[in-house]
Amino acid sequence: MNIISTSNLTKSYKRYEKEEGLKGSIKSLFKRQFIMKDAVDNFSIDIRKGEFVGLIGPNGAGKTTLVKMLTGIIAPTSGDITVLGYYPNKLQNEYKKQYAVVMGQKSQLFFELTPSDTFVLFKELYNIPDKIYKENIEYFIDLFDIKDLLNVQVRTLSLGERMKMELIVSLLHNPTILFLDEPTIGLDAIAQKQIRHFLKEVNEKKDTTIILTSHYMEDIKSLCKRCIVINEGKKIYDGSLKSLFARYQTHKMITILFEYESSISLPYDIEILESSPYKISFMIKKFEVNKVLKYIIENYEIADISIEEEDIGNVVERIYSNKVGDIE
Amino acid sequence: MRKYFEIAKILFKAQLVYRFDVFFNALFTVAKIVFAYIVWGVIFESNTTVAGFTLSTMLSYYVISSFLSQIEMSDGITGEISGRIRDGSFSKFMVIPSNTFLHFLWQNIGSTLFYMIFNFFAAVIWIFIFKIDFALTTDIAIIFSSLLLISLGLFFMVQLSYFIGILTFKFKNVWLFNLIKGNIAAFVTGSLVPLVLLPMGVVDVMKFFPFYYVTYLPSMMLIGRNIDEFIVGIIVLSIYILVFIIINISTYNFLRKKYDGVGI
Ligand SMILES: Nc1ncnc2c1ncn2[C@@H]1O[C@H](COP(=O)(O)OP(=O)(O)OP(=O)(O)O)[C@@H](O)[C@H]1O
Ligand SMILES: [Mg+2]
Repeated sequence: MNIISTSNLTKSYKRYEKEEGLKGSIKSLFKRQFIMKDAVDNFSIDIRKGEFVGLIGPNGAGKTTLVKMLTGIIAPTSGDITVLGYYPNKLQNEYKKQYAVVMGQKSQLFFELTPSDTFVLFKELYNIPDKIYKENIEYFIDLFDIKDLLNVQVRTLSLGERMKMELIVSLLHNPTILFLDEPTIGLDAIAQKQIRHFLKEVNEKKDTTIILTSHYMEDIKSLCKRCIVINEGKKIYDGSLKSLFARYQTHKMITILFEYESSISLPYDIEILESSPYKISFMIKKFEVNKVLKYIIENYEIADISIEEEDIGNVVERIYSNKVGDIE
Repeated sequence: MRKYFEIAKILFKAQLVYRFDVFFNALFTVAKIVFAYIVWGVIFESNTTVAGFTLSTMLSYYVISSFLSQIEMSDGITGEISGRIRDGSFSKFMVIPSNTFLHFLWQNIGSTLFYMIFNFFAAVIWIFIFKIDFALTTDIAIIFSSLLLISLGLFFMVQLSYFIGILTFKFKNVWLFNLIKGNIAAFVTGSLVPLVLLPMGVVDVMKFFPFYYVTYLPSMMLIGRNIDEFIVGIIVLSIYILVFIIINISTYNFLRKKYDGVGI
């Protein structure tokens, strides 16, 4: 059953343009020049209950705009959108009680108070029954192991600690859908890992549908079976993450250490990443690996070879630079 | 309903954290009363009554009206709404299941209650320090009537501040509206000078506006004057409140669709 469904969803922002300097400012008082920007453009998706969907795309692709429309914060310019049977921008309380949204750079917590205070407020806001409230608090606090931070002022928490609290607050009422917009932004590797573990648990144990945007491919790779790629407001890929990578992780990274000082020149069109008298590393298309290695082994004295998967950043770059219609 | 109590409680608690604000708030009250004490002390040296006030009723008026204008803190609502709309964090209120107006109302109640308790003690202390022969009415009915008027007045001020705040959806900058409101309120609510000292015609015009009934009339009633204006006060305030309920609901529903939720 689809719980999120959009078709031809479009959001155009109107943005004012002002010429430089004081003169421009005065001029803009009388005559406003504006440009339209289609942040989300004819976007159609269907998401089923329990899915964990990764939404990726370069800066300015329209991810946040999409999340804002799904949560009802902004109204679409055109197209259809239904989430759990509701039109989000009607802002009905019955709808709001069924989802939660966490935006990496925005906070639901009261900075002057403690996390516990906010938990109690949310218990009342969402009419959470005592039993569920207690169970959830216990469960989540255990999962993150942050018992000793519950009664300190939120403003004194570190970014990572605060983000954990945000996640707990958002999940107290057992939402059916959780929207996450860059929840791991700015966090260290340990905290990111903890949050990934947490989200995996929540998705599996509580069957919460999760829509996640992130620029950290590790988040997407380890959590989302399904991945939607958006660029310039358009959907350019929607399918399994595996096939996305199979298709775009086209290169291998090869590093070779030489016995003797060598100046290597390769008769192939390859991208050299690093080159010194004793070492060379380069990127090469998967199907050329054999050929190139053979050539090197025959012509040089080799101390060591390593063949690695290509860096995830390159894969992403390749995906993003693809125009619509190229894949699927 | 309980959710709104919790909002009020949280804001009440939040106030406790800002000890500095509390301190300045108190200092400001003192300054006002000291100022009145000096100025009116000089004036009353040559007169025993001014417009029916004796020195002690005049000072009592100042204590009460500055107490009331201290607890009228709806300004913060305009500031918060406006700031949040501009930086995009207003989204917070659109995703939680509570009514935005009620949310701000109760937030205001929470902080008002805090300042009320605090300022009440401050007022009592000033009455003792300045040895003011405090002219509070002893008529319970009048006290209750004034409290009713005060509650309606504060409620109206919350509505007005909320209204100016949500205009930010459309006008990005509402400081001008706020400035106008602030000045009108400061003058018309009579916390600077008792309005009886103004020309009759001006006062009569003011009676058509709600501000007259927010601090001025209840302060006067509490020192035993202008009792006959109570009914009119209730009627005028109620009309404004009803009108603003409609204005606020429709303005919010209309303007929020313009919200872009800027930022990330
Ligand atoms: N309020 C707004 N007014 C005008 N244009 C906007 C507004 N908000 C976003 N945009 C534009 O819409 C486009 C999409 O923005 P959006 O925030 O959805 O991108 P994003 O995919 O979340 O990017 P990022 O990865 O940087 O967070 C951008 O080009 C942005 O400049
Ligand atoms: Mg974004």
